[in-house]
Amino acid sequence: MDFFDPILLAVIVAGLYMAWNIGANDLANSMGTSVGSGALSIKQVIIIAGVLELVGAVFFGDKVTSRIAKGIVPIDEIIAIDPHLVVIGSLAAIVAAGFWITLATFYHMPVSTTHSIVGAVTGFGLVATIYIDSFTIDQIEWIVLGKIVISWLTSPLIGATLAFIIFTIIRIFLLARVDDPYNLEKKFIYLQILSACFVALAHGSNDVANAVGPISAALYAAGITSGTVIPEWVLAIGGIGIVIGLATWGWRVIETIGKNITELTPTRGFSAEFATALVVFFHSGISIPVSTTHTLVGAVVGVGLAGGIEAVDLSVIRKIVTSWIITVPVAALTSMIVFVILIEVL
Amino acid sequence: MPIEYIRSVLGIFGESPFKPVHTHAQKAVEAVHKLNMAVDAYCRGDYMTVETLNTEIFAIEYEADIIKQTIRKLIPSSIMLPVDSNDLLSFLRPQDSITDNAHHTAHWLTLRKMKLPLEIKEGLLELMERTIKTVDAYESTVDEIAKLLETSFSKKEIKRILKMIPIIEELEHEADIAKKQLQQKIFDHEDELGGTGVFYLISLVRDIGNISDSADTAADRLRTMILRR
Repeated sequence: MDFFDPILLAVIVAGLYMAWNIGANDLANSMGTSVGSGALSIKQVIIIAGVLELVGAVFFGDKVTSRIAKGIVPIDEIIAIDPHLVVIGSLAAIVAAGFWITLATFYHMPVSTTHSIVGAVTGFGLVATIYIDSFTIDQIEWIVLGKIVISWLTSPLIGATLAFIIFTIIRIFLLARVDDPYNLEKKFIYLQILSACFVALAHGSNDVANAVGPISAALYAAGITSGTVIPEWVLAIGGIGIVIGLATWGWRVIETIGKNITELTPTRGFSAEFATALVVFFHSGISIPVSTTHTLVGAVVGVGLAGGIEAVDLSVIRKIVTSWIITVPVAALTSMIVFVILIEVL
Repeated sequence: MPIEYIRSVLGIFGESPFKPVHTHAQKAVEAVHKLNMAVDAYCRGDYMTVETLNTEIFAIEYEADIIKQTIRKLIPSSIMLPVDSNDLLSFLRPQDSITDNAHHTAHWLTLRKMKLPLEIKEGLLELMERTIKTVDAYESTVDEIAKLLETSFSKKEIKRILKMIPIIEELEHEADIAKKQLQQKIFDHEDELGGTGVFYLISLVRDIGNISDSADTAADRLRTMILRR
C-alpha cells in the first residue's frame, strides 16, 4: 500500500483533526492557568506551548504512541493475517474518537481525548476478533489496559498529592516568611513560565499519541514505516496538528477560561502546573497514556486542600467521573460500528 | 455570538466569595458615614437633608442585600473554601446587620421632627463618632482577609488580624459607654422632652448602639472563622 492510498490519507486527515481538537481544547486547558495568573499573555502562551509541545511530541512522544498503536491490540498478529484490517481499524478508531470528542466539546462535557482513543482502539481489537477466527479476545492486552485505566484514577490523585506538597512547602518556607506576599508572587511569575513550558512538553509527550497512535499503526500495517521505533516525522504530524489547534481555536478557549480563573496566583499556578507536568511526563516515560487535564484538575484540588485557592468548585469532579465512565464504552462501541460499516463499504 | 466549541475542566476554579464579602463591608461603612451626616443634619434641624440621606442609605442597604445574595449563591455545597463555609455565612449575617441597622436608624430619623437640647445633640454626635470608629476599624480588619488568603493563612498574618479584633471590641465598648451616658442624659431632660420625645430618643439611641454591636459580633465571628479553619 503506498502513502497516497485513500484510506491511509483518511487516517492521517482524521488524525490531524484529532490533533487539532487536542490543541484547541486540551492544550488550551493546560496552558490556561498561566494566562489566568497573569504570568503569560495569550500570544506568549501560544509561542511557548507551540515550541515545547512539538519538542515533547517529537522527542518524547514515541513511547505512549507505540503503546496506543500496538500495545493494547497486538497488531502484528493481525497484520500477519490481513494488514488491511489494521489500516481500516485505525481509521475506525480515530474517527470514533474524533466523533465522540466533537460531540462532547459541543456539549461542554469534560471528556478526555486519551480515554476516547484508548476506548476506540480497544473497540477495534474487540471487533477484529469477529473478523479473524484465529484472533481471540484474550489476545488483547487486558493487563496493559487495566494498568492504563488504573492510572487514570491514580494520576489525578498523585497530581493532587504532589501539588499539595509543593504548595505547602512554598507556603511554609516562603509565603509565611516574606513581608510582602504580593512581591513574592511577582517573582514566581518567572518560575511559572518554566512550569508552563514543562506542562507543554509533558503534554506533547503524552497526548500526541492520542492523534498519531492510530496513524502510526496504519503506516506500519501499510508497510510504509517499519520496526519498533515510531519515526519522528509521524510524531511531528501530530505535534504540528496540535499547535495549529492551539493557534486557530485554543487561544479563544484560553481567553474564555482565563477570565474565570483570576483567583489563581503564580505560586498556586506554579504548584499545580509543576505537579501536573511531573505526573504526566513520568507516565510518558513508562508508556502510559494519561489525561493531562484530569491530572491538572487533581493538582488544583491539591493546592485547594492546602488552603491555596479561594474557591474550588468540586462539582467538576463529578462531571469528570461521569464522562470518564461513559467515554470508554461509547468510544469502543462507536469504533466497532464504524469498523463494520467501513468493512462493508470498502 | 460564535459557537462555544469549548471543553474545559477549569470550571474547577470557583468564583471567590471573599472579594464581595469585602465590598459588602464597604457598603456598611458607606451607610454608617451617611447616617452620621443624617444625624448631624437632624441636630441642625435640616430635615430635608435627613430625608435625602435616608433615601441614599436605603439604596446602599439594597445594594448590600444584593451582594449578600450573590455571596450565598457563590457557596453551594460543592465549593471548597479555605475556611468553613458555614463560618463565613455566620460572619456575613452580623456584617449585613450593620447596614440594616444604619438603615433603620436613618428611617427612624425621618419619622419625627424635634428640637434637641444641646447636651443631647453633643451626646448623639459623640455616639455617632464612636460608632464610625468601630465600623471603620471593622472594615480595615475585613480588608486584611485578602492578605490572609494571599499568604494562605500564615501564622504571622493570623496573629496580625487577631490583634485587630480586640481593637474593634474596645471601640465598641467605648461606643457602649457613650450610649449609656446619652441614655441617662435623655432621662435627665425628660420634662423638657416629654414622654414621646423620650421614647423617640431612647429608641434612636438603641438603634445607633445596635450598629457597633453588629460590628462587634461580626468581628467575633470573623475570629471564630479564622481560628476554626
